[in-house]
Amino acid sequence: MLRAQRGDTRAFDALVEPHWQMAFRLAFLITRDAAEADDAAQEALLKAWRALARFRDTEPVRPWLLRIVANEARNRRRSAGRRGRLALRAGAVQVSGGAAPSPEELTVAEDEQRRVLAELEALPEQARMVLACRFLLDLSEAETAAALGLRPGTVKSRTARALERLRKAHV
Amino acid sequence: MSELESQLRQLAAEVEWPSTPPLGLTFEPRRGATRARVRPLWVVVVAALVALAVAFSVPAARSAILRVLHLGGVTVVRVDVLPPVQEQQLAADLGPAVDSQHAAAALGVPLRLPPLRGSAKLHLRDGVVSVLLATPQPLLLSEFRSDVFLLKKLASSGTNVVSLDVGTAPGLWLGGAQHIVVFPATPPRLAGNVLIWQQGMVVYRLEGRRLTRRAALELAGKIMGT
Repeated sequence: MLRAQRGDTRAFDALVEPHWQMAFRLAFLITRDAAEADDAAQEALLKAWRALARFRDTEPVRPWLLRIVANEARNRRRSAGRRGRLALRAGAVQVSGGAAPSPEELTVAEDEQRRVLAELEALPEQARMVLACRFLLDLSEAETAAALGLRPGTVKSRTARALERLRKAHV
Repeated sequence: MSELESQLRQLAAEVEWPSTPPLGLTFEPRRGATRARVRPLWVVVVAALVALAVAFSVPAARSAILRVLHLGGVTVVRVDVLPPVQEQQLAADLGPAVDSQHAAAALGVPLRLPPLRGSAKLHLRDGVVSVLLATPQPLLLSEFRSDVFLLKKLASSGTNVVSLDVGTAPGLWLGGAQHIVVFPATPPRLAGNVLIWQQGMVVYRLEGRRLTRRAALELAGKIMGT
């Protein structure tokens, strides 16, 4: 951290690298456009670099970086009508259990995952984003709070309400 | 953890995320090392000095340089505030008209043009071959050798600068807010959306105020015959 704060860009890269994929995916979740997310993440990186002198090295890097990325992504977000949707990778769905799944089992599992994803995508933005941060990005409540600009308590209650909403939609 | 929460966590590994761009807060290209053209150190140093000189050439624009990107003969300097420069017609300062032989001699290779109904009026100024294409909106196609000079661009944060591929060639798209382009021997001017790519030693540049990225890539494909 000290080397990065003294202007060593390699040290800064090393500091950010463990969180870079997470930061880009957060930008993508907000912008829903790979090019916009790329720009947002890169610009956020510059802002983080410029703000590094004010960063206290007793704080964790990830929430700090995610907050900057999320702010930049929100500033660059396009109109709602132009956003892309999340999709599953082809052949990505796995069936738990030791034996190799049959094609029918795979199809059923994939359909189920597609259904959950579609239901998640259909949630209002506040609910969708809190669930996406908590479960798709596997962020902690504190990290989600930093990324979404919320208090940790609000993240907790909003997550519970969003899960309940998703559960009802999933019945 | 409920079944629904488990399903949501499983989704994380199964979502088709776009590939994460390379990380690098450096004064280097953002493309992978295999794509990067190795430039002699003196060229990099000169380019950096030129970029600094351009960025600070207007006294009212002591703008911080945030980042420098290179694509072959093109340098894009990210600044927080653009210096005040004039807007000009696309057809301004293109130089005298030349025939295709003169244009090819300047480039060292034949000029590349998209299929046209009539003959194109070519211009040549300081090694830059230009042609104004009459599409529904005016477009300027410029071609020049990357080893003759470096094209400089100043872009603020309002301009999206995106690395992309034009066929098999590395390229840059500059869209959104206008940026400043600095051709040699002509005053800096504001530029609209631009697609730049480099094939061999020649840099190709398409500019149009209302040019979209998709239209630019389609036209670039026609220019390169792909």
